[in-house]
Amino acid sequence: MSKNTSKDIGTEGEDAASKYLISLGYQILERNFRSSQGEIDIIAKEKEFLVFLEIKNYSFRSYGSPLGAIRYHKKQSLKHAANTYLYKNNIKNTFCRFDAIGIYKSKSGKEFVEHIKNAFVIN
Amino acid sequence: MLVKINSAALSGLDAYLIEVEVDSSRGLPGQSIVGLPDASVKESRDRVKAAISNSGFEFPPGYFTINLAPADTRKEGPIYDLPIALGILCSSEQIVSSRLNDVVIFGELSLDGTVRPINGILPMCISIKKHGKKTVLVPQENADESALIEGLDVIPIRTLLDAIAYLTGNNGWKPHKINFDDFFKEESKYDMDFSDVKGQFHAKRALEIAAAGGHNILMVGPPGSGKSMLAKRFSTIVPKLSIDEALELTKVYSVCGLLPAKKSLITKRPFRAPHHSISYAGLIGGGSNPKPGEISLAHLGILFLDEFPEFRRDSLEVLRQPLEERVITISRAIGSLTFPAQITLIAAMNPCPCGYYTDNLKQCTCTAFQIQRYWSKLSGPLLDRIDLHIDVPRLKQDELHSKPSGESSTNIRNRVTCAKEIQNKRFNDNPFCSNSVMSSKQIRQFCVLTDEAQELLKSAIIKLKMSARSYDRILKVSRTIADLGGLETIEACHIAEATQYRSLDRKG
Repeated sequence: MSKNTSKDIGTEGEDAASKYLISLGYQILERNFRSSQGEIDIIAKEKEFLVFLEIKNYSFRSYGSPLGAIRYHKKQSLKHAANTYLYKNNIKNTFCRFDAIGIYKSKSGKEFVEHIKNAFVIN
Repeated sequence: MLVKINSAALSGLDAYLIEVEVDSSRGLPGQSIVGLPDASVKESRDRVKAAISNSGFEFPPGYFTINLAPADTRKEGPIYDLPIALGILCSSEQIVSSRLNDVVIFGELSLDGTVRPINGILPMCISIKKHGKKTVLVPQENADESALIEGLDVIPIRTLLDAIAYLTGNNGWKPHKINFDDFFKEESKYDMDFSDVKGQFHAKRALEIAAAGGHNILMVGPPGSGKSMLAKRFSTIVPKLSIDEALELTKVYSVCGLLPAKKSLITKRPFRAPHHSISYAGLIGGGSNPKPGEISLAHLGILFLDEFPEFRRDSLEVLRQPLEERVITISRAIGSLTFPAQITLIAAMNPCPCGYYTDNLKQCTCTAFQIQRYWSKLSGPLLDRIDLHIDVPRLKQDELHSKPSGESSTNIRNRVTCAKEIQNKRFNDNPFCSNSVMSSKQIRQFCVLTDEAQELLKSAIIKLKMSARSYDRILKVSRTIADLGGLETIEACHIAEATQYRSLDRKG
């Protein structure tokens, strides 16, 4: 009945990514954290790392890797959101990391997850 | 954790020590480089990251602040890749070294972790020694050049892993050593000789005087009379470079990155012949962070300007100050730098635009106005600074058909070397002094004339309406002529010969 909006596709991808992360032992702290200038899809904790994850859900592979979709402005908004999160929760002295996750579906409906750790740094 | 690594930075032909400070902190991942880095220093971020991961280490998480202290001078070039990489590894405690304080490190990193050669090693090593540091880690290709500085332990390294192995281990690394004599072995081989040039004995004599005293010379003659041929062979008769001179010259070439491969010391006097389309910045040096120009690359050697009046007027006029001062000072926004410019200028030109004005066989087709305009490109002050003006006429028919005759370069060079030794004694073994750079005080002290010579000079000055500078030039040239003859006092014949080399003064 419902139409597949891009928001739905995004949420679907984030659900899949959460499952994947939990299976790896990540502890999901927050989803869709928003600041005035950006949004972080998933914030998770892995060992001593606080991980900010950007999830990209693709209906097919040809758009390339999830890293390709994260450009300068996306990085800036992620940075802003991450800083806001750290400030609001008064988190200091913690190693942080930005990861990117790409989710693809093959024609047979099978899901593939591409996880790039430490996908980019803030300069 | 904060780590400090010693490195060095260039400023003109000198260098100073800097500290590469790397501080790591927890937080969002990233790096920032501060301390006035230029684009190539900022790019080192990416090279360092790739080099560290490709050398089998993990690029550490966290935020890195990299400071190049002192922070008020501009740092350029990729030479801080290696210290930054080592700093990052130390500050994340992946390597632990107790030697960091004692060594000075520089090198460019390639993405696979090999260390690439850099420019300006020699001046940096000189300043490292001056500041009392003992050990340097240098790229393998630069090892010979660094080892020129005695009393410095030079450790050549090939890769980032080599550097880490040196800093963390104590296994026998031997300092690189070189033998100075090896450099001078091949020095005296030339594939040209003065005896190749037929006739032109007058010009050859003038060039011999120029070589002995370091005088500037202008050759005027029709096309094909052998001006360029003579100039090219000039390098075969100049005195050999001393070790001090060679080091000084090598500094210039090191900073410009012009040292030939596998040759870390320049042992031949340079012969630079820039094309006449050269800009003034190309000639004397320039750029927002000034680099030496042709005149400094010809330091202690020969700058040959063929087709002299074809050079741009502004390029020629900038030669005035360096020809007199023997250094060139370039002022830009970042400060003023002084480069050495002790050159022997050889200029060659035709007597008129068509080239045959003084020729006795071919008719000149230029109008008087054309000739005047041609000559007006050379200003009086510039000609004044050229000690010897000579005519190089066309060869006569029988000279042209004869076998090459005249002295070989070796003979002439022996005489020139003798004259140079006399000068060395005169100037207390300072190899950078020669008759052509005497101050007016030195002229009064060393140019002692016989009474007869004094009289001749007096009448020459009046008749030729010479400037005060021309007067000094004649004295300097006659001093060299007397030195070539091995005489203590300057005699009338020396003055007479020196005066006839000022033919353009006589034209008025």
